[in-house]
Amino acid sequence: MSETLADVRIRCLEDTDLGHITGIDEKIGGSYRPEVWERRMAYYSRRDPDASVVAESGGRVIGFMFGEIRSGEFGMEEPTGWIEVLGVDPDARGKAIGRQLAESIMDYFRRSGATTVRTMVDAEMVGIERFFESLGFEPASLRPFVKKLSEGA
Amino acid sequence: MTKTHLPAKFHDAVVKWQQTFLPDYDFLIENWDKYFPRDRQFELCAFRELGICNEVECGDAEGEPKRTKAAALHPEQAGHLLGAIRAQASTEFGSIQQHQLTLARAQNEEEQFWILRMMAEELRHGYQMLHLLLDDDWSSVTDASSEDLVEETLSMRTGSHILGAFNVDFDSFVDNAVFCALIDRVGKYQLNMQRVSAYKPMAESMPQMLREEAFHLAAGVVPLRRWMEQAARELPYVSTSDIQKTINKWFPRGLEMFGDERGGGTNVRFGLKPMKNLEAQDLYIEEVGKLVRDLNMRYIRARIPGLDLAQAEQVLNRILADRGTDQGIAWEDLVHLPDRAFFRRRGVPAFELAGWQGESFEDLPSYLEHLRRHLPDAYRASRDFRHYVEQAQKLTGGEVTLREAVSAMPGLRRVGGVCPCSKSVRWVAETPQSGAAAGDSGSAA
Ligand SMILES: CC(C)(COP(=O)(O)OP(=O)(O)OC[C@H]1O[C@@H](n2cnc3c(N)ncnc32)[C@H](O)[C@@H]1OP(=O)(O)O)[C@@H](O)C(=O)NCCC(=O)NCCS
Ligand SMILES: [Fe+2]
Ligand SMILES: [Fe+2]
Repeated sequence: MSETLADVRIRCLEDTDLGHITGIDEKIGGSYRPEVWERRMAYYSRRDPDASVVAESGGRVIGFMFGEIRSGEFGMEEPTGWIEVLGVDPDARGKAIGRQLAESIMDYFRRSGATTVRTMVDAEMVGIERFFESLGFEPASLRPFVKKLSEGA
Repeated sequence: MTKTHLPAKFHDAVVKWQQTFLPDYDFLIENWDKYFPRDRQFELCAFRELGICNEVECGDAEGEPKRTKAAALHPEQAGHLLGAIRAQASTEFGSIQQHQLTLARAQNEEEQFWILRMMAEELRHGYQMLHLLLDDDWSSVTDASSEDLVEETLSMRTGSHILGAFNVDFDSFVDNAVFCALIDRVGKYQLNMQRVSAYKPMAESMPQMLREEAFHLAAGVVPLRRWMEQAARELPYVSTSDIQKTINKWFPRGLEMFGDERGGGTNVRFGLKPMKNLEAQDLYIEEVGKLVRDLNMRYIRARIPGLDLAQAEQVLNRILADRGTDQGIAWEDLVHLPDRAFFRRRGVPAFELAGWQGESFEDLPSYLEHLRRHLPDAYRASRDFRHYVEQAQKLTGGEVTLREAVSAMPGLRRVGGVCPCSKSVRWVAETPQSGAAAGDSGSAA
């Protein structure tokens, strides 16, 4: 088990978290992308704000996880909780922040009648894969297929 | 969650109201999938959350079962509650009338569509409050019939609403955004507090309204952030000074929506809200402070793209510490939280001569000069501002007492004949006619 951080509060995403979330993304990926996070804020805040949570400690957001419940996709009729976007401040990793965020969202999914939770992880992102495995996720049979749509083709 | 509709004649009255004050509703529904492809279609209905807490969560009756009928409340308690529902309904319908004034002036189609969706959701919130009025028997605390209660709400106009913030006209799309960011944020606090209401139908109405409110805040904050970024790049659109003046216009009205700073204890005792007015107002001020800081960070990073997050925070902290200039960015280039006593007409600081940064003024003329410089030009040409100035002058001249100045409301200024719905329109049909088109049944008094 990872060591835990005291005074962490998991709560719903709020509009005033935008700056901190953009900052975490920048620390992870190295680029500053405010427009991307503004769009995501507009999207997730209107989808199901209870399914998007942040971890706050000492007045700062140190992690976030956005998701929603959907059904009817890819032949999956049952309501499914999707975890779609996540990030924990690199300085706060390994302290069960990610786990607490996921548990909070999954708890909400469960209460809302979802029977399954799913996510998609890029095979190159081994850390995220391990993270989900530790939470009990297993590889699913549903595999993404991709084809580039070049013009005229 | 359960879903219900109002009895037909009241539902029709709301639809008729929507056709008058939210004429773009059909456009929203027709184009929904363009902007909100995966979102559930909007529906005019009342939602009730299931499985909320069954026991009264604060006050004298803490731990007792929540009441499901108004008749089971103490009469004074029911009276307070009825007042709150009517006020809430007035704000929901009122904000649509305000947003409609400048909706067409948006520069960005996406942001305009966000506001339009938000307006439809405000209509649903108003509908939800009418549902509370109609689903119970309020005769123990009012002589008004169900028809009268609905009629009263639907016939209010900008200028006759219950709370001051809903009687102020919008002058540009900056108002649409700042209103969402500041006034809907007060709404979020009110809804959050009413979530614990000892009256169960009220508590059950809050969760879905709160979910929708999260988007309303984003629909204001995202355009504001975009304008800050554009201003930093010296584009000629909305300046930080425009944003500041618009914040100065709305923030005082937002603070007053919490009620008098000395009050709120009764609501807590009655189990209707968990916090007194001042406590909630303090939290709100702190939250708006965060928003302002976020906007400034967006500005600084756009102005000096070479700075990383930590460096930009240091620049901001230095500018704020000495109100000076750092890396070419001046304190005046940024936006700031107005003082809580600034430009107030209700509550503890009502009619104090407090500047937007807390400065105090010796006399009214110099204070009015200060207001001239820190409020938007178009707002100063409004009825609402004139009313404030006149009351302040009467107060200084000893013609009215503070209490009178505080309770004076800007007069009704809309007169019959200026629009298709003159004063004489009744929204609720007296006698429902079978087979009559929904749009026709609400008029004719
Ligand atoms: C994956 C991530 C969310 C984990 O956050 P965290 O707070 O450090 O994780 P926790 O401390 O809660 O760890 C929970 C479990 O996952 C495991 N885990 C987390 N990261 C791991 C890693 N990189 N390798 C192996 N295991 C890992 C932990 O060991 C722990 O297991 P345990 O509880 O059985 O001991 C975080 O590393 C992250 O934000 N990564 C980048 C995300 C990203 O790139 N997002 C952009 C794409 S959407
Ligand atoms: Fe609302
Ligand atoms: Fe709202």
